[in-house]
Amino acid sequence: MKLEGKIALVTGARGGIGRAIVARFVKEGATVYAADLTPEGSLDAHVDDGVFVKLDVTQEADAIAAMDQVREAHGKLDILVNAAGIEIEKTVEDTTLEEWNQSFAVNSTGTFLTSKYALPLMREAAKSGSSASLINFGSYDGFIADPGLAAYCATKGAVHALTRAMACDHGPEGIRVNAICPGYIDTPMLQSFFNGDGSGGGGGSIETLQKAVRDVHPMRTYGTPEDIANLVNWLASDEARYASGQLWVLDGGLSAQVQQMKL
Amino acid sequence: MRLAGKKAFVTGGRQGIGRGIVDAFLNEGATVTTCGRGARPKGLPPEVTWLALDVSDPSAVNAVATPTDILVNNAGVQVEKTVADSTDADWDQVMGTNARGVFNCCRAFIPVMPKGGSIINIGSISGNVADPSMALYNASKAFVHGLTRSIAVDHGPDIRCNAICPGWIETGMLDAGFELAKDPKKAKQDALVRHPVRRFGKPADIAAMAVWLASEEAGFATGQLFTVDGGMTAASPLNPGLF
Repeated sequence: MKLEGKIALVTGARGGIGRAIVARFVKEGATVYAADLTPEGSLDAHVDDGVFVKLDVTQEADAIAAMDQVREAHGKLDILVNAAGIEIEKTVEDTTLEEWNQSFAVNSTGTFLTSKYALPLMREAAKSGSSASLINFGSYDGFIADPGLAAYCATKGAVHALTRAMACDHGPEGIRVNAICPGYIDTPMLQSFFNGDGSGGGGGSIETLQKAVRDVHPMRTYGTPEDIANLVNWLASDEARYASGQLWVLDGGLSAQVQQMKL
Repeated sequence: MRLAGKKAFVTGGRQGIGRGIVDAFLNEGATVTTCGRGARPKGLPPEVTWLALDVSDPSAVNAVATPTDILVNNAGVQVEKTVADSTDADWDQVMGTNARGVFNCCRAFIPVMPKGGSIINIGSISGNVADPSMALYNASKAFVHGLTRSIAVDHGPDIRCNAICPGWIETGMLDAGFELAKDPKKAKQDALVRHPVRRFGKPADIAAMAVWLASEEAGFATGQLFTVDGGMTAASPLNPGLF
């Protein structure tokens, strides 16, 4: 029970990774606000123990209302996880302005807005003596690009830079800011990529593509949402009290290698 | 007890970060062996096995390699010189321990490491961005980073290999650095302001990351450099607030 007594809010809480984080936080003893567009999960209809908060991360009024709810109940927020995200599978040329703006609205502006209204509550939490922890979702795509994901890569690069900026600005207030940069994780988003909605399909069978993706990883597999939740849990806990301003890549070794040339 | 039943070998456990990792591993239930040049240090918990070992000596390292779940390559030395000032003896000393020592231990332990083993190398932020007048040290840590990725790629899925890159940690090495400054007190204050968390690290901060990387929870983490530096390298070294 590493998070006993902590108050946490997770955005994108009904997505593949978000659900696993909420479940883990609950298990570790935190009071968890599970924020998303709808209470239904994207994996199944099971509702976990988190308190559902309706939050569209692109709407300033929603962010304000969510934090008001936390303030009234607890007066503080120890942990914020900005896990809400969308992925448009297109090159720059094919991406419409509307799709580009929507990508930034959710992935980058959403992270900004939720953080902006959470910070005063996190400052209150830090007054207890143990630091508050803000965890953003970057991506290994913020370092090296996947083909046909232009807007997504750009939004994640923005999240990485914002993470460093917030760590500098709010470290002296006792708030640690980090980003987790997942590689291929088995979520509905990845399955949609495999299903060939965009560049991922490539014409072959899903099984062939899945095997090819696994084989490129040194660990010969892609990750699970629980793998990500393990690191979120550590970063949220007091054990990580000296960890701030970093981008934590968790990708089964994928980005440690240079391109695997098929000669 | 996240490491119950695990056997760990930590090089350079006499003091500083190495000793912090030995203590943390013991606390999590591991059976720990550590080593260093010379006699067993006073105050090392009795349940820890001590080996007098110079990691730069390949045959000596080969002689002590037994099946081990967790290998932590922490032993390291530093020589504070530029390339122009460094002697052949400096090269042999720094590269011998920091680079060849890590290689010696990995080469000896990998073949006998059980499936699911975890190698944790102590790299450094200095392997990514250079500390002035630490040429061989910086280069030796970049070697460690490169070797870390190579082992992850070559020996996955059986073995995971990661590096921790500590920033400024309160050890004898750090104080010695400040003593060299014109005004040690001012130098220390300046260094503190460059840390977003407004303090230096403690060996326990690095040990906490080592425990996580050694544990089953880190089962998908391999081939990576994990920086734990209180936010220092997230900030540009050009900080207008300090002028």
